Amino acid sequence: MAHISRRSVLQGMGAGLGALAAAGPLFNANKAFAAREKELNILCWEGYNSAQVLDPFRSKTGATVKAESLTNDPTMINRLRAGEINTWDLINVNNPWARKVMLPEKLIKPLPKAEFEPFFAKMMPEFKWPYKWAMSEDGSELIGMAQRFGPYSFVVNTDKISRKTAEDTGWDLFNDPALAGKYGILESDDWNVFNIFIIAGIDPFKVHTPEEFTKFEETAKRVFKGAKLIGDIASMNQALISGEIDLHMTGGTYSVSPARADGHPNLRGITPLRGPLPGGKGGVAWIEITSTVNNPNLSPLALDFLKYVQGPEVAHTVAFAEGTFNPVAQMGNKACFDLFTKDELDAIQWDSLQEEMDRSAEYDIVPDYDKALDLMNAAKRLRG
Amino acid sequence: MADLAIAPARDAAPEGAAQLRHARMLSVGARCALPVALLLGIGFLAPLVAIFGYAFATPRSFDVFTSFTLANFATLFDTTNTVWLSFFWSCGLALLTVAILAVVAYPIAYGLNLVFGRWSALISVFFVFPLFVSENVRLYGWVLFFIKNGVLDGTLKWLGLSGGPEVLYTPGITLFGMVYTYLPFMLFPMTLGLALVPRDLVDAARDLGAGRLFIWREIELPLAMPGILIGMLLTFVLAIGATAEAKILGGQSIIVISHDIEIAFTYSQNWPLGSALAVLVTFFIGALTLFALSKLDLDRMLGRR
Repeated sequence: MAHISRRSVLQGMGAGLGALAAAGPLFNANKAFAAREKELNILCWEGYNSAQVLDPFRSKTGATVKAESLTNDPTMINRLRAGEINTWDLINVNNPWARKVMLPEKLIKPLPKAEFEPFFAKMMPEFKWPYKWAMSEDGSELIGMAQRFGPYSFVVNTDKISRKTAEDTGWDLFNDPALAGKYGILESDDWNVFNIFIIAGIDPFKVHTPEEFTKFEETAKRVFKGAKLIGDIASMNQALISGEIDLHMTGGTYSVSPARADGHPNLRGITPLRGPLPGGKGGVAWIEITSTVNNPNLSPLALDFLKYVQGPEVAHTVAFAEGTFNPVAQMGNKACFDLFTKDELDAIQWDSLQEEMDRSAEYDIVPDYDKALDLMNAAKRLRG
Repeated sequence: MADLAIAPARDAAPEGAAQLRHARMLSVGARCALPVALLLGIGFLAPLVAIFGYAFATPRSFDVFTSFTLANFATLFDTTNTVWLSFFWSCGLALLTVAILAVVAYPIAYGLNLVFGRWSALISVFFVFPLFVSENVRLYGWVLFFIKNGVLDGTLKWLGLSGGPEVLYTPGITLFGMVYTYLPFMLFPMTLGLALVPRDLVDAARDLGAGRLFIWREIELPLAMPGILIGMLLTFVLAIGATAEAKILGGQSIIVISHDIEIAFTYSQNWPLGSALAVLVTFFIGALTLFALSKLDLDRMLGRR
């Protein structure tokens, strides 16, 4: 992935595949060059594409707002690499990509600091200016805004495995032969790569030795073989509620909150007390950063939208957009926090959020991800 | 129409330049077909050409048409690569689906033609109706039916029994899902095939003393064969590309080939490898289809030659 140049990608576009893949918004690209005042295209994780978030902005601005949601970061970034830089105005991905990949590759452009710095003062303490993931590596540029975040390790049914046992045993639950056939795996392969490394007792966010890869492969084969099912978030929650499984790997507030809000508080995202991550941390947490795409004809609405979602009410709507419920950095603002009901706070595990974030390393890029993913995919095929 | 358009050119040798130009122009039919040809060219051919181009591009790059390598195919044919397992499952499940559907759909097709009478239309609608609902929704419906404490298990427990069988998240339930999904695609060509069998022939054979089995084997089956084979071919081609059943019902207990292609295009971001795999599968299905069609002389089967 690192060898991709914009030129080669644009040449690739000649094939027409990119145009077809982006059928929707791309067909408006030429028109867009003429006038973008009333048009905004957002590439995001699910939630920002919901009508609850977009409709008020549409009626306020009278603009045509299109949002496409995808469920993994590399796909979204490659859409920009493949030439769709002219199509999108905003991109919303997990924390490291803006700073480490998209800015160096000139896929995104910095935000006007003076306009956006004041918003950080109203965020939760850990997001205070200058917030690492919102800034360029040298700290000179503001490259995106933080909003949703959450710990993301694994989920258990606390009726079967208590929170205490789960936190204390941690990732070794997946090494326990007695639990084979009783757990699921969320189909979220980038996170599964992290977690297989962690289950093998290895820090995922570093360059790995051949011995570590051997251990990774062995762990991947065993963990995937022992899984009752692999599926999406809905399948995991359904299997937990019905009793088909007792726990599932890769999961947390983002995945389990809809089930908790639906009357299943016994299902809970768990962050282990300890693990092989730097500082002995046991889990991984994500923070979404929304950046303006380096679109030569960027819609002026892109900045307006970024400001719009900072407002207390809209931030609360973003937190509880359809599909997934999450804490937002803007909860540091009392006006925003007060909008959350007790049930909503319970759904996002507010009671343990701080300690879980403290026990989590921040999502990062695995330097040898491609090799690990190939090994994991091969391990998956051996399930049958 | 084509004949009409070029008629003047045939009747007399073109004299002036205008006439010559006219003679060289596309026929009316060809011109009418241009929009469709263009649409097919863009919508059908262009993606195929792009996929073909990507299959020969540098792995994990977007250097389509600017690089040429066989590395992607080498990776797929590498003996340590387990992708053949996915291929094996897809082919095996597709073949089993076809075999099961041939047996299941035949009596229904027979009934629609000869037994159900005026109810045939209504029964046909029952088989078509599920197609109006998204396949994923229907498959999730089956999950709710089979899941622990779901419709089946819950009902059986309510009746005081020990509960339903644990069938979800297995290759077996994947096969069930495929049989369920592709039933109409086997049933309707088969029904048409059976409708082609002249009843007079069956009556004549019976009058001449042929038994039921003999009539079925010597008259009904051969004459209905075009429909049956087209149904089989259609079902096989669709089933080999099936993903949703293995994902939703099967809980990815097996990885099918189309899922492997999807992984290459998404999480792996290795479009060239995904394309090479797609090209291989396309060629395999294409070769199989052409082989089947070459063995299948529809005209002869229909008795037109």
